[in-house]
Amino acid sequence: MPAWVMAAAAEEEGGFWETAYPVLPHPGELIAGLVFLALLYLLVAKVVVPRLEKAFEERREAIQGGVEKAERAQAEANAALQEYKAQLADARGEANRIREEARQQGAAILAEMREQAQAEAERITVSARATIEAERAQAAAQLRAEVGRLATDLASRIVGESLQEPARQSGVVDRFLAELESTSSPQGVTSR
Amino acid sequence: MGGSLNVIGYGLAAIGPAIAVGLVFAAYINGVARQPESRGMLQPIAILGFALAEALAILGFVLAFINPGGE
Amino acid sequence: MSLSTLATAGGETFEAPTPGDFWQPLIGNGDFAITRPMFVMALSVVVIGALLLATTKRLTVVPANKKQFAVEALYGFVRNGVARDIIGSKEFLRYVPLLFTMFVLILVNNLAGVIPPIQFPTMSRIGFPIALTLVVFVLYHAIGIKRKGLGGYFKSLMPAGVPVFLVPVVYLLELFTYFVSRPLTLAVRLFANMFAGHMLILVLFLGGEHLLLHGEGLLPAAGVVSYLFGLVMSFFELLIQVLQSYIFVLLTATYIAGSLADEH
Repeated sequence: MPAWVMAAAAEEEGGFWETAYPVLPHPGELIAGLVFLALLYLLVAKVVVPRLEKAFEERREAIQGGVEKAERAQAEANAALQEYKAQLADARGEANRIREEARQQGAAILAEMREQAQAEAERITVSARATIEAERAQAAAQLRAEVGRLATDLASRIVGESLQEPARQSGVVDRFLAELESTSSPQGVTSR
Repeated sequence: MGGSLNVIGYGLAAIGPAIAVGLVFAAYINGVARQPESRGMLQPIAILGFALAEALAILGFVLAFINPGGE
Repeated sequence: MSLSTLATAGGETFEAPTPGDFWQPLIGNGDFAITRPMFVMALSVVVIGALLLATTKRLTVVPANKKQFAVEALYGFVRNGVARDIIGSKEFLRYVPLLFTMFVLILVNNLAGVIPPIQFPTMSRIGFPIALTLVVFVLYHAIGIKRKGLGGYFKSLMPAGVPVFLVPVVYLLELFTYFVSRPLTLAVRLFANMFAGHMLILVLFLGGEHLLLHGEGLLPAAGVVSYLFGLVMSFFELLIQVLQSYIFVLLTATYIAGSLADEH
């Protein structure tokens, strides 16, 4: 190739590479390129890439671990929520039960009170009735005695005869009264 | 003003690859415009096509220097 | 090959930057001279190594600082975005160190083209891309041969379903692809992008400077425009530099995946 010949001639003068075509590789630079590439490659392959790969791996694991952790936290939160809900339901049931109990107790108390009041009322009524009865009986007894005395007094005065004799007296008065009672009754009231 | 016919020749030879490179990127832009999500897949392909088309220009570049008559 | 000489009204002639400007020997001038890009690359290896070692020394599960986050993002991009997506989740881990090394090395050396005190893209000297490509070339053939045996590998280069009368032609094309086209384009793509981009910035800044200092009339204004455009192109270069390092590892991963796959 003429270029080589010409360039080689120029080299004799020491300026071959100055005028050489730029597409001709300079051997020194070629070797330097190979050497520097090899140096950097060794450095990168032996030190830098393993370090970076380790970091990448760690990061991948960290991310995966983070995901797992998040999932675990989620599960825990869910469990806590379930528990809370269950507790809430329990509390609600408890409250209901207590309220129900209170209501029942209230009703029972009310019933008891009512019963007591009724009993009291009954008692009062009964005692009042008894008192009235007793008073009536007493009044009747007094009245009977009074009426007997009055009647005998009256009769003795009218008859003039002393009817003070107890045996007679009592028989007569009693008979009279029995007669009176048997004929009394409703009409007896108006006749009286 | 002096110069070399080689350089003119190289200029002429570069027209073809220039058009080819233009076509490659036109197609790439078209593709990305139609489907923006395919960009990552198309990019290496476009660059490869560009490199192949450019290879012709590079051959011309070398040949432009080989003829010693240009001085 | 001088691109052009621009004569301005001031009588000074402008020497446009030439490919020769990229030859910057520091010690010696021969085939094994120590050159500026070598120095830049050595510096980049030291800086990358120190940074990576320092940031990965104590890695925490939750990124402790921005540096760790940045390194992990970069590593994750190469590991998941390139290696795992292209090679597949089964075997990609073995190739991650190489892909990551290449990506970082190319990225930093490309960026060196616009970082002020260095301002020399290492990959604009084709020796370095060829060195990287050589590794890739040997690697993907070695993987294929180890996986399928020598005969099996060469048989697997043939795509299935080709009509019989086309087989020889297609096979020759495949051989060309695997042994010439792939490594050539892989190396030269990176080289040409860095070379041309840096040359463009050089022309814009040197031309702008020349117009500004030696131009007459309205030419200094054109120099300012040239500077501004150079700034814009610098940012564009930044994009290209990142993109090229991505493309390099993407193609490397694709070639490795192709050799790993059972069917071509």
